[in-house]
Amino acid sequence: MAQLLQFTITGLAIGMIYSLIALGFVVVWKSSGVANLSLGQLVLLLSWFTYSMLAQAGLPFYFGLPLVIVFALLLGWIIERIILRPLIAQPILSLITVTLGLAYFIEGIVVIIWPQSQASLPRLFPMETVHIGSAVVTQEYLWAALISVVLFILLSLYFRYNRMGIAMRATADDQKAVQACGIPVTKIFSRSWMFACVLAAVGGILMSSIGGIRQGLTETGLLAFSVVILGGLDSFAGAMIAGPIIGLVETVGSGYLANFIKWPEIRTVIPFIIIIIVMCVKPYGLFGENRIERI
Amino acid sequence: MDLPSGTRNYNYAEDMAIFRTKTHWFLLFALLVILFTAPLWFGNYWLSIANLIGITIIAVTGLNILTGYCGQLSIGHAGFMAVGAYTSVILTTRFNLPFLVGLICAGVMAGIIGMIFGIPSLRVKGFYLAISTIAAQAIIIWVIRGWTSVTGGYTGLEASPASIGNLILKSQTSEFFLILIITIIAIFAAKNLVRTRVGRAFVAIRDNDLAAEVMGINLFRYKLTAFFIGCFFAGIAGALLAHISRLASPEYFSFTNSVLYIGMIIIGGLGTTIGPIFGVIFFQLLNVLVTKLSPALQSAFPHLPGGFTSGIAPMLFGLAIILFLIFEPRGIAHRWQLFKSAYRFWPFSY
Repeated sequence: MAQLLQFTITGLAIGMIYSLIALGFVVVWKSSGVANLSLGQLVLLLSWFTYSMLAQAGLPFYFGLPLVIVFALLLGWIIERIILRPLIAQPILSLITVTLGLAYFIEGIVVIIWPQSQASLPRLFPMETVHIGSAVVTQEYLWAALISVVLFILLSLYFRYNRMGIAMRATADDQKAVQACGIPVTKIFSRSWMFACVLAAVGGILMSSIGGIRQGLTETGLLAFSVVILGGLDSFAGAMIAGPIIGLVETVGSGYLANFIKWPEIRTVIPFIIIIIVMCVKPYGLFGENRIERI
Repeated sequence: MDLPSGTRNYNYAEDMAIFRTKTHWFLLFALLVILFTAPLWFGNYWLSIANLIGITIIAVTGLNILTGYCGQLSIGHAGFMAVGAYTSVILTTRFNLPFLVGLICAGVMAGIIGMIFGIPSLRVKGFYLAISTIAAQAIIIWVIRGWTSVTGGYTGLEASPASIGNLILKSQTSEFFLILIITIIAIFAAKNLVRTRVGRAFVAIRDNDLAAEVMGINLFRYKLTAFFIGCFFAGIAGALLAHISRLASPEYFSFTNSVLYIGMIIIGGLGTTIGPIFGVIFFQLLNVLVTKLSPALQSAFPHLPGGFTSGIAPMLFGLAIILFLIFEPRGIAHRWQLFKSAYRFWPFSY
């Protein structure tokens, strides 16, 4: 029983981080219709950058972490300006492949700059474990969940009240109408990429403070895809709800299935099995909008 | 357009012919002579590169039918190659079937698995389909790694060399001829397939699948046919790769390979028969260049960071995909077309 509680808590907390990264995908998809398949690589790159700032350069947290956020903003702006801007209104095939190319490019850069296979960030959160009922949880998980929820609330407020946020929602709804109102759509695209990169940075820092920085961090990207597929591609609430579900199924499922199926790494395929099931049963996800196409 | 000026068609067969003029036939003959005598002047290293190019062309031609002609993006092509490789190796080593039977079975098996994972394509497209093919790749490789009793797990399975009848193709040269012949058949089949009723249906589905359905094209049948054909090619290529390298290992069929195949058809030119050939040759030669040059650069400039040799290849591949998509989305095939029409009118090109 204690084991189940333990799995549940860690699963929910990890799932919150997936939600956070998935939100970055949803923001970009809603505003510009680009499917960003380089999420995992962005997470990896930004985690390594954090490592450079905090461990290699030895900056204090209050200076290093804001620097990471600034770098993420800059990265998002550059990616949108240089790579995605020339491809506006291209078919979806090009938009997907260009992010695959970007993913490959980032992976190469990461290997060149940080050749070591793994590293761990300096401790961001206190060491002491917390007892919840009969489960023992390290504090990282709880902080991760808390930070995710706070960021989600901040983002919701931004989209609800900020002028730019409202414009972004409007763009998601009808791009041409927004353009006719005189709102600079390209600015909104670059804003959405900056958001995606910042969310990837925060997600990466949280993930690597739990499990260290490894090449395997790119798989968080794939997990984020299963989150958006389950939640629906164009739904913020969907991503926020689907994340903990995926995290829960992943940890609880792999924790118990490991007793029955002796094949290694069952954890890595669970999200894919979920994807296939969702695709066959409810292809547009829990909260996704099933757009009716015209010829 | 495609033909030199002054070429006239007097009957339908002439109009449909691939090779129209005497120059065409002469160039084809010259190319075949060069290809079939290649082992005479290629060293072993370049012969092995040529073998790899041939195998990749077969796989990428299949992907081009699926993605370039039918518009169904598949990022799991290496997974389907793995299915073919293991099918053929298991059939030839455990059940002692002849190599050619194993090869055909590999194609059919990969095609069937491809069709199963292609079923979601009936309801979803674009990003959703891309993700479900990534899932297919991950699940296939996971099964191969886990099902140790059949597939040998991480270490893989040893494969016997290819053989036809009593002739065992052990040397690099004989393997080169085998791959060359199969590649030519594959390209020829692909070229003709896209000119048939099925191929035209694929193009209609790619351009607008709703309109195609309204015009009476059975989407269910043709999309699954596209998956079957595309994955059949992949299975053949995978089986060849396993027999040539004497090993079927999950390492050969990683997710990064699937991404590279997509990159190859993009760079070569989507939806053209010649595109995959250009794309594959471009990528493989870039790969050779990088593996030859980067150690030299590393020793010449000691200031370069430590991971330079292993990281430069993916970086350049990614960069090539991005640059081609931005500056020449129609690929090398389009440039080739421009070049041909320019020299036909020379010196009066405009």
